[in-house]
Amino acid sequence: MVGNPNCGKTTLFNALTGLRQKVGNYPGVTVEKKIGECYSQHGRPMKIIDLPGAYSLAARSPDEAVLRDVLFGRREDTPQPDRVICVLDATNLERNLYLVHQILDLGRPVILVLNMMDLAVKAGLRIDTHQLAAALGVVVIACAAVKGEGLVELKLAMSRSDLPLARHRWDVPAPIAPAVAELQASLSDADAQSPLIARAEALLLLTDFESVRIAGSKPLSARTAAVLAAWQQRCAREESNWSGTLIRSRYDAINTLCREVLRRPRPPELSGSDRLDAVLVHSIWGWLFFGFVMAALFFSIFSLAEYPMNWIDAHIAALSRGVKNILPPGDLRDLLTDGVIGGVGGIVVFLPQILILFFFVGLLESTGYMARAAFLMDRPMSKVGLHGKSFIPLLGSYACAIPGIMATRTIENAKDRLVTILIAPLMSCSARLPVYLLMIATLLPAAALPATWKAGLMLLMYLLGTLGAFGFAWLFKRTLFKSARPLMIMELPAYQPPRLKEILRQMVERSWLFLKNAGTIILGISIVLWFLTTYPKHPDPKASAEAQIAVSFAGQAGHLLEPVIKPLGFDWRIGIGLVTSFAAREVFVSSMSVIFGVQDNGEDTLPVRDALRAARWPNGASLFTPLVCITLMVYYVFAMQCMSTIAVVKRETNSWRWPLFQIAYMTGTAWLVCFAIYQIGRALDY
Amino acid sequence: MINGDDGFAQRLREMGFGEAALVTKISGRTTSLCQVNGTRIALNHNAAMAILVEALPAGVR
Repeated sequence: MVGNPNCGKTTLFNALTGLRQKVGNYPGVTVEKKIGECYSQHGRPMKIIDLPGAYSLAARSPDEAVLRDVLFGRREDTPQPDRVICVLDATNLERNLYLVHQILDLGRPVILVLNMMDLAVKAGLRIDTHQLAAALGVVVIACAAVKGEGLVELKLAMSRSDLPLARHRWDVPAPIAPAVAELQASLSDADAQSPLIARAEALLLLTDFESVRIAGSKPLSARTAAVLAAWQQRCAREESNWSGTLIRSRYDAINTLCREVLRRPRPPELSGSDRLDAVLVHSIWGWLFFGFVMAALFFSIFSLAEYPMNWIDAHIAALSRGVKNILPPGDLRDLLTDGVIGGVGGIVVFLPQILILFFFVGLLESTGYMARAAFLMDRPMSKVGLHGKSFIPLLGSYACAIPGIMATRTIENAKDRLVTILIAPLMSCSARLPVYLLMIATLLPAAALPATWKAGLMLLMYLLGTLGAFGFAWLFKRTLFKSARPLMIMELPAYQPPRLKEILRQMVERSWLFLKNAGTIILGISIVLWFLTTYPKHPDPKASAEAQIAVSFAGQAGHLLEPVIKPLGFDWRIGIGLVTSFAAREVFVSSMSVIFGVQDNGEDTLPVRDALRAARWPNGASLFTPLVCITLMVYYVFAMQCMSTIAVVKRETNSWRWPLFQIAYMTGTAWLVCFAIYQIGRALDY
Repeated sequence: MINGDDGFAQRLREMGFGEAALVTKISGRTTSLCQVNGTRIALNHNAAMAILVEALPAGVR
């Protein structure tokens, strides 16, 4: 299944396979091939590969290279597809037919799916599908995947064993023809390619400008490489523009076809989306609206989430009390109340805020505003040597750095892509949210201050992460990754009403993932941490909780770490939290619940924020002073504290070098910035 | 007319922003938003500087 970015391939793929791959209204949602299965009308299983969107087979970014290499059979891990479903955005037939024109060169059976036909009709376009099918000799299906229209017809077509081969009457432009013929012969003989694939490959190679090659793709034979080099040298010597000639020739053929099949009652006018864009990407109004969206997000996180959070908090406390009433005092009761309920409950309470964050992200993605935010951010991004396209992965990283890093595959320039990968984890992800919220709750007592203060402090942390990301991008682009000023070309999708069902589905999926983490990783770490803080037992059975934790395994390890973090205002107990949260940042909250819950020792466990406020240094001074709370938040803004992100960076850069560099520069920066804040704060008597 | 980086020029032409395209500017100063053949295309300053457009006489489309 192939097509231009944002033409509805994944929506169609989900409808056919029953899978739930992510969809969104911006280009570049799918960056890797996805495989699903459905059944033909005769009950035969069919495997469908959903490929990333591309404007052309001349790949300019790693996601486009996936499409090209699968279609050409270059990928050793994926067999060449036996038929190709070309999905087109019917509202923009000419541009979408360009990729189809290239795919028809491959000589595979093709099904054309004109998606968004409802929108095309609404825009006054009339597409004669019968004439299009007759002209190209392929099956053409009108479809509106979102409404489920045309799916039965598509399945019927996919089930056909006798799909016709396209009548692709197009001659290679004369200036390129001799080169194509010689290269085609070499690819057939020396690289064992079929004649049509060899011709299509020759066309690509001769008009190639350092297009992306990806790992696993087969290299060219020596003979073909020599033939190619000779023709490229000749083209350069004669100062010919083979690429321009080829594109013009294809568009001439497409325009001739469109004159036959497409009726446009009037010349294209400015649409509703265009008029909306005149305001929403305006240099003043656009920024005001962007600021309003961000402010609404942070205010909602604090004001709306408060009620469900209090409800969850109360039920967790009641559960803990219930267990204490049922079980006799002892290690098992402490394990369940302090380890399991305290650790997992400390995290689950933040679920409403995570849901609100994902609701807003879903809203931005499905309406098409995400791409506008990238447009607005292009100017500030250009100051640091990147362009607006890099902002989509960064914006996605506010939810989670992992999909954000995956989304960098749409960036054409390898150096820009690497810089974006390196700075993406600096954007405050949803896992940092519980840490910020806990620190803000400890720092600013409830009810005393309005939600706007807390939202403002939270916004400050997000801004700090964003500024840090920009600062490091500037530094990297001037030192390690110098390159020419980037050129950005990006399609902005039409605005669409939010697809609430899709947003809700994503919210449910993310919250399930969050709860699954709480029930597995966080539960496991909480139990291990409880064990490490409980054993070995203090020789004196009547020793205080503080004395017990000091002699425990965790206490001994924490004391070893304390000299490194004491200059930041952190004691060994916070140090334990920093180490355990290397698995995932939110583990810090459950660690604090376990460590300070263990110290409580009373019949009722204190809410963790109250336990933190009551925590003291050995000299009786308060541990979590406002300065320490702020320093700790800043530490989490900058430090690389996520094993999953490290694994993804390793996979995306194909090396351990960059994830290790990332850990060093991010955690080093966190230490230095926190040191400066704490020491200056102390000097100023805060 | 499109100048500059070959790969960029190729992509621009492939997206229908070729020499014969009719371009309508919608918004923007440093980053421009244009409509080409019914598609909204954003170009940053560097990209826009590589493209030479010719204004059509008033009333001609």
